[in-house]
Amino acid sequence: MAVYSTRFIDPVNLMPLVLKRRSVIPGFGLAFGFTVLYLSLLVLIPLAAAFLKASALSWHEFWQLVLSPRAMASYRLSFGGSLVGAIANLFFGVLAAWVLVRYDFPGKGILDSLVDLPFALPTAVAGISLATLYSPNGWLGRLLATLGVHIAYTRMGVIVALTFIGLPFVVRTVQPVLQDLDREFEEAAASLGANRWQTFTRVLLPSIFPAALTGFGLAFARAVGEYGSVIFIAGNMPMRTEITPLLIVIKLQEYDYSGATAIAIFMLMISFAMLLGINLLQTWSGRQGRAESARGEPSRPFESLYVAEGGQ
Amino acid sequence: MSISVRGVSKKFGSFSALDRIDLEIPAGELVALLGPSGSGKTTLLRIIAGLEFADSGAVEFEGQDISSRSARDRRVGFVFQHFALFRYMTVFENIAFGLRVRPRRIRPSREEIRAKVHELLRLIQLENQAQRYPSQLSGGQRQRVALARALAVEPSVLLLDEPFGALDAKVRLELRRWLRDLHDKVQITSVFVTHDQDEALEVADRVAVMNEGRIEQFGTPADVYHSPATSFVYNFLGNVNLFRGRVENGATFIHSSPTGSIIFVRPHFLDVSRQPNGSSHFRAVTKHIHTAGPLVKIEAVTEWGAPVHIEMSQERFGALGLVPDETVFVTPKESAVFRADSHPAAADKS
Repeated sequence: MAVYSTRFIDPVNLMPLVLKRRSVIPGFGLAFGFTVLYLSLLVLIPLAAAFLKASALSWHEFWQLVLSPRAMASYRLSFGGSLVGAIANLFFGVLAAWVLVRYDFPGKGILDSLVDLPFALPTAVAGISLATLYSPNGWLGRLLATLGVHIAYTRMGVIVALTFIGLPFVVRTVQPVLQDLDREFEEAAASLGANRWQTFTRVLLPSIFPAALTGFGLAFARAVGEYGSVIFIAGNMPMRTEITPLLIVIKLQEYDYSGATAIAIFMLMISFAMLLGINLLQTWSGRQGRAESARGEPSRPFESLYVAEGGQ
Repeated sequence: MSISVRGVSKKFGSFSALDRIDLEIPAGELVALLGPSGSGKTTLLRIIAGLEFADSGAVEFEGQDISSRSARDRRVGFVFQHFALFRYMTVFENIAFGLRVRPRRIRPSREEIRAKVHELLRLIQLENQAQRYPSQLSGGQRQRVALARALAVEPSVLLLDEPFGALDAKVRLELRRWLRDLHDKVQITSVFVTHDQDEALEVADRVAVMNEGRIEQFGTPADVYHSPATSFVYNFLGNVNLFRGRVENGATFIHSSPTGSIIFVRPHFLDVSRQPNGSSHFRAVTKHIHTAGPLVKIEAVTEWGAPVHIEMSQERFGALGLVPDETVFVTPKESAVFRADSHPAAADKS
């Protein structure tokens, strides 16, 4: 019989058999496999090794090491200093991005490339420069000393260094968003009677907030892991100006490998928790703008106005 | 509120966007600024809005010079081509924005704002979309929200920059009728910019046809369409065939070689017949015939090799029974003659 197949094939039941969804972009399997391998080699395996090393310790030993007063003081300085630095960079970065995008002035190109300098400079060079500059007999340190402010070899010095190395992040994340932001939004706000401040806080800020938050997260993460520039300006006094990465290095130099990895892992967990928090905040703030699928059906095509009017 | 534009000029670098523009817009009218891109129409609108400032000249609202006032203080409602809705605000918040940013002493109460916004949502027929975000709306809905947002502050004039430019054809058509109805309801002096002659002629009370930073003609749609002041206006408003020719004793003669005058004939003013019928006709060969649509469109080539567009009713086409590659006789029923320097000479109607 020629009239065989079609009626017996139930298209609904056939669906689950189609394992691979055809896509315009080929090579999902290969790309995904490579990504996993890459991340494993670079991130997961070294981290797993750290965990393995730390597992030589008992729980009691682990907590004793991790919560020792010296370690606690270093966490406070590392995380507190990074937070202060990242917050400073958040405000300054948004301001700098604004100036670089919205105004034209001579030397703009030079200023723009200056922003990236903290990336390019070896951190040790940065640390030494900062220490020289802010030390009690340095150019700036001398002036500040007369006011009773001491930067080098204090916690303030740590914050200065951590702010310095985090500088580019917020600027570079906010800049493209500001560039893409149409002038029309500001003009619309102005024509509706908003003043400059209202336009900035109500119209511009919500648009750049997710990008600024990303920059903040990056600057914070970078500052937490920073080592080179800080050790030159901090003075490195245990309990006072000793950052956690330095403490880890000290442990390593004392051949206390399990102690070093325990502190590293604890630091890692705090960092991970904080970055996760920032990410969640970002997702939440990003969703407010484009809530296509969040509420009900997707936008419907235009319904006739005259039908709608007739109904009233 | 009436708007007067007096001698406004504006240059961008060496490009003259507006050249001594004078325009009087009576209170309560809906006026279209019509012109091709680069004609200065949007610049003029933005100068009226205070988003751009003129190099010289003045803008007056109700006889009061407001040239130095910022957009914020002009109380104008401005609607942008790409809507410029605030993405992070719901429809309700967008419309309420202008009321919420007022200084405290003149800011309406929470309940007053709510009532006002709902009244506007009723007006734009989007009452149940108040809590949606702009990204969840269609283009036509977004533009209506933009309009409601501009109207919320009770502006003295409403200015619209290509309000339907970003919408598809069918939505444009519906929305522009709706705008006309809305204007009749609200009676606010409105100016809108468009490059679409149908839109301008259908919606506006008056049309200002602009070209190269000047206003070529300002009049009712019937005026500019039926008595175009310049060849540009005639050319811009609808399709047109250009012929070389001359006028003698009230009769129009079409030539194949350049003469002092240019004769404009709209495609539907060209009559086609199989036999020569009297004075002024020329021969043409039909090439393509498009029968879809309300009118039959014929592309033909004249005896001197120039393309010519002819339109006729379906009935006439049926009676003639034309086929491609057929030689026919074409007679202009009505034409407009301009001298080659583009100033009006005589409008000849026969």
